[in-house]
Amino acid sequence: MSSRGAAAVLSRASRIRSKLQSALEATVLEVDDVSHQHAGHAAVRGSSDMETHFNVKIVSPKFEGQSLVKRHRIVYDLLADELQSGLHALSIVAKTPRETNPNPNPNPAD
Amino acid sequence: MSWCSCAKPLTLQLQLQSRPASLIHSHGGGVTVTTSSMSIRPSSPLVFTHNFHFQPKLKRASTSIRCSSALTPQLKSTLDKVIATNKVVLFMKGTKDFPQCGFSNTVVQILKSLNVPFEAINILENDMLRQGLKEYSSWPTFPQLYIEGEFFGGCDITVEAYQNGQLQELLEKAMLS
Repeated sequence: MSSRGAAAVLSRASRIRSKLQSALEATVLEVDDVSHQHAGHAAVRGSSDMETHFNVKIVSPKFEGQSLVKRHRIVYDLLADELQSGLHALSIVAKTPRETNPNPNPNPAD
Repeated sequence: MSWCSCAKPLTLQLQLQSRPASLIHSHGGGVTVTTSSMSIRPSSPLVFTHNFHFQPKLKRASTSIRCSSALTPQLKSTLDKVIATNKVVLFMKGTKDFPQCGFSNTVVQILKSLNVPFEAINILENDMLRQGLKEYSSWPTFPQLYIEGEFFGGCDITVEAYQNGQLQELLEKAMLS
């Protein structure tokens, strides 16, 4: 899939997904636009109601050993451009593969 | 990395005047900071007497300073003192009695349910404060919770820590110290 020139016309959700996926080698990546739940509240009043609030869930080995604050900062840094162009808030769930699967199957059956 | 969230570039035409600026937050047991002395006196409402009455001009980058820091030395010093003086500080949207954002409200309700005294500062009242705090905390969103002088996290982190008990533990330790 060609990305040349495509970034500008991709939705913010797609851009977020692309940036996080490539940088974090995520095994799980969910990006949901929940802007409609926040339309009209004081801090976004007057701006477009579109693409302002997102829920992001990432499972990445790169979060291993990082505090929650550090993990969230990593995500914010990766999305700096988005945050400066209308992305208003992010709810972030950032886990490592070990945290989401605490009891890995010792007998690989598949 | 320092944050400079300049989605709305501001023309920096601050004029420091002695007349009081708009009240950022009114809360008994807060601090007063003046431009002249920067002294801290307890039991006064938090007032930034920089002239924050200026109207930010929402011009595009070509005619204004695009990414100048909103975190002036005075603002940084003020924030240092607020965070050092109060064990729990919440920079939020709205006030603790009238939050204006779901995320800020969530943190307020958590802190209230734990009966923890906290200083709540409304960042919606002052755009320089709002932008400066993003740089100060290296955190681009609100709310921002500080415990014992250290940045703790935003809403997600606070909720997770509340659910697993770490928040209660940390707050108890803070209250006892």
